[in-house]
Amino acid sequence: MTAMSRDPVTIGRGGPSRAIFAVFLLCTTLSACGDRQSTLNVAGEDAAAIATLFWVMLAGAVVLWLGMNGLFFYLSRVAPGAFPDRLVRPLLIGGGIVLPTVILATLLVWSLTMLPDQRAPDDGLRVKVTGEQWWWRVEYWPKGAEAPVVTANEIRLPVGSRTGFELDAHKVIHSFWIPALGGKMDMFPGRTTYVSLRPEKTGTFRGQCAEFCGASHAWMAFETVVLPPDDFEAWLAAEARDATPPEGDAARRGAALFAAEGCGACHTVRGTEAVGQVGPDLTHVGSRLTLGAGRIGATLDDFAAWVEHTGALKPEVKMPAYDHLSDGQLADLAAYLKGLE
Amino acid sequence: MTDRHTPEKDSAEFAAEAGSLWRITFAPATWAGHFLLCYTLFATGCAKGWPVGTVRHGLIGMSVLALAVIALIGWRAYAQWSPRSTGRIVNPRGDAEDRHHFLGHAGFLLAVISFIGVVFVTLPLLLLEGCR
Repeated sequence: MTAMSRDPVTIGRGGPSRAIFAVFLLCTTLSACGDRQSTLNVAGEDAAAIATLFWVMLAGAVVLWLGMNGLFFYLSRVAPGAFPDRLVRPLLIGGGIVLPTVILATLLVWSLTMLPDQRAPDDGLRVKVTGEQWWWRVEYWPKGAEAPVVTANEIRLPVGSRTGFELDAHKVIHSFWIPALGGKMDMFPGRTTYVSLRPEKTGTFRGQCAEFCGASHAWMAFETVVLPPDDFEAWLAAEARDATPPEGDAARRGAALFAAEGCGACHTVRGTEAVGQVGPDLTHVGSRLTLGAGRIGATLDDFAAWVEHTGALKPEVKMPAYDHLSDGQLADLAAYLKGLE
Repeated sequence: MTDRHTPEKDSAEFAAEAGSLWRITFAPATWAGHFLLCYTLFATGCAKGWPVGTVRHGLIGMSVLALAVIALIGWRAYAQWSPRSTGRIVNPRGDAEDRHHFLGHAGFLLAVISFIGVVFVTLPLLLLEGCR
């Protein structure tokens, strides 16, 4: 996004050609969102229903727009004279009362019949997601499980089966939304809401908090990875295991530093003394696609940058920036965390 | 203004239509009451764990009642408007008779929109069964 397109005054002064260019630029920018975070990039049964509703409403809106403007044109240019009552009255009652009532009632009935499908029971897997400021606490509850598999900031799902999401929030309202897979559902502190999703395509899709929840609301995202069922089962089994012990000198130094800096007071790394519950579970953080709930990637440099510049990357986040650590220490810590696969 | 209109006469005519003025509010008031009852009772029922089926069926019954009341109000308003017997759909004259018919017309239209409003509020009751 350029400064020019942010300033409507500049566009206005530039004349029509610059305005058209700015709109074109905006459209090309928006198209970049199309792949992974678009309700029109349908990758699930529930998103398909919403997309169908959208296209039907769009087509209807276009027809109405053309019809109304055609009528305005006809009345103002073609036949501008007065019309007899016997023509005007049926047009007013039919077009002004009966038609909108029938259209709105049809759309209302259609959309209301869609809602129960979006909350259909799961096929065996339930995921509990809690909205935190500004990250996602995730617990997998496969059928019959007595304890959850805990992770954070990333959701993996099996393709072709329906997964139920029990949604909750800590402190403020959030909203859980994976546009490519289905509709959004608000998350309220102290109240559990439910939505279910049935992905139909494998791939990686972006989810986003869709309810303003504070300074870093825009940075509260997550990756959703839809896997073939066997791959999902294998991933879940691996995710349930304790953390991999550090391999290599750098990672071992990083593990010692992690303990010495008190990171375990807030984070859990299962199989170690770190059992904190305030921040995201880091047991398998090295296998995640992003850090800071979709804020940055997950390379070694990203790990070091996150630890050193936490607050700059995510305003008002609770985790302090560990900018007193040397570059070497940051590299060791990154090696340890990246090794937690 | 003609000599037929004196302040005293106008006051007497307006007083005669006071009942009509009240009546045109009845259909929207029924709609508003129904709306409030549906939303508050269902939300309270879900929050307090009342049996959802009972609340739902009770409210559907209330909806039928509200529609019947609005239909009755609309029918009475239509009779007051009486476009068929007078042969006039609009009543632009400022005399007592036209004022009487006009208030019937307004009451009828308000009853129509209130009826549609109650139907729209009732549809979720019919199509969504649970609290979620």
